[in-house]
Amino acid sequence: MTETGNAYHVRSLLMRESLLDRQVERSTEGAVFRMLPDAHVLKIGGRSIMDAGRGVVYPVVDVLADCLKTWKLILGTGGGVRTRHVFSIGIDLGLPTGVLAQVAAADALGNAHMLGTLLSPYGVVAIPPEIFGHLLPLFIHSAPGVVFSGVPPYSLWEHPPGVGRIPPHRTDAGAFLLAECFGCRSLTLVKDVDGLYTADPKLDPSAELIPEIDVAELRQRGLPTLPFEPVLLDLLENARLLDRFQIVNGRDPGRIREALEGRHVGTIVHRRR
Amino acid sequence: MDNLLTDLGQALVEGSLSDEDLLARTGGPAPVQILPEANVIKIGGQSFIDRGRVAVFPLIDEIVANLGRHKMILGTGAGTRARHAYSVGLDLGMPTGVLSVLGTFVSMQNARMLNYLLAKHGIPFIEPAQFAQLPLYLAERGAVIFFGMPPYVYWQQNPAVGRIPPHRTDTGSYLVSEVLGARSMIYVKDVDGLYTADPKKDRGARFIPRITVSELRAMDLQDVVVERAVLDMMENAQHRRTIQVINGLVPGNLTRALEGEPVGTIITSDEERP
Repeated sequence: MTETGNAYHVRSLLMRESLLDRQVERSTEGAVFRMLPDAHVLKIGGRSIMDAGRGVVYPVVDVLADCLKTWKLILGTGGGVRTRHVFSIGIDLGLPTGVLAQVAAADALGNAHMLGTLLSPYGVVAIPPEIFGHLLPLFIHSAPGVVFSGVPPYSLWEHPPGVGRIPPHRTDAGAFLLAECFGCRSLTLVKDVDGLYTADPKLDPSAELIPEIDVAELRQRGLPTLPFEPVLLDLLENARLLDRFQIVNGRDPGRIREALEGRHVGTIVHRRR
Repeated sequence: MDNLLTDLGQALVEGSLSDEDLLARTGGPAPVQILPEANVIKIGGQSFIDRGRVAVFPLIDEIVANLGRHKMILGTGAGTRARHAYSVGLDLGMPTGVLSVLGTFVSMQNARMLNYLLAKHGIPFIEPAQFAQLPLYLAERGAVIFFGMPPYVYWQQNPAVGRIPPHRTDTGSYLVSEVLGARSMIYVKDVDGLYTADPKKDRGARFIPRITVSELRAMDLQDVVVERAVLDMMENAQHRRTIQVINGLVPGNLTRALEGEPVGTIITSDEERP
């Protein structure tokens, strides 16, 4: 330990450095260890899959059960319509973004428990958020897969968005950040559209599918809507381990398996092409 | 049948949350100020707590003297042990999310130590899961302590450059002040505020008493006095668009800052409100 200017420092490379100094920031770049390189992360849409009921969810569960024989799966769920509802009530009551993020977490967790119930015959259950991150490698080693609420633990600490008051880091972001931190093999977003279109295909029948694109191209296009949280573009741009994610249509659930096989069956968004 | 959903509710249930036109409708009515009388005070790690009793004891006395006059939510920085943990962790290839866990542990150590120094005044330390009790503690005891790191742990975002978590204790404390609609956000450090360069390294550094976020950006400083993420968030903030950085080594500065006096550097995004 050394004393300088009345502060007691522990000797280290970053000792006495400002962590806000750009040069210091650059010096911290380096290879990143992958904790779960064989696990795949899938985000199962809330409104697009879970809220659509048995006719959509059961076939997805059948495919997931089959995939669990081959791969370790980390399954995140969206909050769907209930989250949209609690946002609208919370905004009407004058509650800030952080509170909206905190209360909305319960909806995705409810969906996680429903998906976990349907997958419980295969040894896959929903894990409480409080222990999920720290124990994930243990669960993945011991079980074929796990379900978590896709919600990242931002809660009251959610960032105020540039426009409006909806929390920007929702379940797509939670699944992405988890896959990136744990160095997982892939991230697949399971939705109810074939991928990214030039316009919303539900509103514009002339919309064309974009099978492959990267962050810079996507930003340049300035599409009015995206089938995933826009913050994913920032997260992918700064990713060190994940270099892409794929959006697939869970209404044709065979595509989930194909995506895990590494096949191109939806839209692949690349960090850089 | 009555409409169960407002027009906005209907639009949110049916529409896309990536649609900017829809998002623009989610701004109002203006959010309530949850704790408008509370002041959030972040006590620096390397810049303050690591200095030991010489720095910390007088500040504790000043906090105690302000009990009953000002409500205080006290966040802690991490400091030199976090730098050590980050250095070791970087060498071992730890991802940013794991470094975030390590930083949380250090700011928690600092929060616990301050907690024991303030314990005889009945001031509790609360973890993020206990924030629902914060209003009671603040009403009853006038102050609470929390660790400044935001609870992102493995979900901490990568920085654009390097691997150090970009959202650390300045950001975590700031977001508490913003979400609660608090009265002020005061950063207690060991410098008078913002300088044109690091005053510990450059004798020609000039002091800046007040500056806007866009002016600060335009200066493109190699080093800044608060985490850059705070500046980004201030521009989007609903409530907390002004922060103050003060030198807590000068007796009376915290009290004057709590009284609303400018005693350090005030950084504001108010002028930039659209």
